[in-house]
Amino acid sequence: MGVNGQHRSLVTAQPSERRVAFRLGQLAILPSLPGAFAWGMISGVAMVKGGLGVPWAITMSLLVYAGSAQLAALPLIVAGAPLWVIVATGLITNLRFVIYSAALRPWFADRSRGVRAALGFFMTDFTFTRFMRSAQEGTLPAQHSDAWFAGVCSSNWITWQLSALVGIIGASYVPTQWGLEFTGTLALVALVGPSLNARPAIVGAAAAAVVALVAYPLPFKLGLFCGAIAGIVAATLTDAVEQRSPPRSAEQT
Amino acid sequence: MTEPVAGFALGVVIVGLACSTFVTRTSFLLAGARLSLGHRVEVALRYAPVCTLAAIIVPDILMHPPAHVLDLSLLNPRLIGALAAGLWLSWSRNIIGCLGLGMAAYSLARIYL
Repeated sequence: MGVNGQHRSLVTAQPSERRVAFRLGQLAILPSLPGAFAWGMISGVAMVKGGLGVPWAITMSLLVYAGSAQLAALPLIVAGAPLWVIVATGLITNLRFVIYSAALRPWFADRSRGVRAALGFFMTDFTFTRFMRSAQEGTLPAQHSDAWFAGVCSSNWITWQLSALVGIIGASYVPTQWGLEFTGTLALVALVGPSLNARPAIVGAAAAAVVALVAYPLPFKLGLFCGAIAGIVAATLTDAVEQRSPPRSAEQT
Repeated sequence: MTEPVAGFALGVVIVGLACSTFVTRTSFLLAGARLSLGHRVEVALRYAPVCTLAAIIVPDILMHPPAHVLDLSLLNPRLIGALAAGLWLSWSRNIIGCLGLGMAAYSLARIYL
């Protein structure tokens, strides 16, 4: 009876604890949802004003689910760039997720492949940042950090998709003369601005911009590529130089 | 300029972009300990997005349609809009304000300049 009761309590406690963790995760991301909503809406507006029809814009939002990659790909789609250039540009824009993925791995190493794949796909800048904050504070639910993160991601996904839909539908009623497609460029400015907080980023961005301008006449939008590659090389070199001559205080210790 | 990507080709692009999201986000979560990030590679990956976006934004602002030639003039509405947005960002992270101010400056410049 005792064994039976224990067994039953284990079975019944398991799902409800997971559900609580999921709920807590859903609530934990609330403060950043207005930001996610704004991003989703802007990407929706930019997609429709960039010339994607409403059905394609919705498909893109649902399948790609990466605002920066979508916004980066958009001008290339409009310009009729070769398909591989568009996809490669999206891929480079997404490369930061490789770092996020590496940082998350230790937390979910014991979960099934399916769970890891799902948590990975639904991870974004917002949800990753939120997860790492709780991980560093040690406030993650011990047994159910995956359920908690799934909650975080679900709130973010629902908010993003709804806001993209609002942007997509809303923008289709706004006349083209308003120039709303420029919001896409401004959104990218807002994305880049806060990242320019370290010397490698500044040098890299400047090199990328100059090379992209000079190489602009190249066919297939290849100038963009040359710019991106030049920028990455410049940023890596800048970082290497900084590593070689660390600040004084570090040398003394 | 050539025609925008549309129809089947656009479908291919969207699937390709979706794959790029999936592959990058699940890379280490799925590959486990078989992959490892060297410092150099991590630095390159960290700064790749900001470089790509700069390579997209700057020509978009300075070589705008219809002419697609360098327009460094301070009367360039896109430059005015981007500068206004950048100024806002230097003292606030609120992106609604950034976009609002940027769009307002861009629109006013287009109408009056």
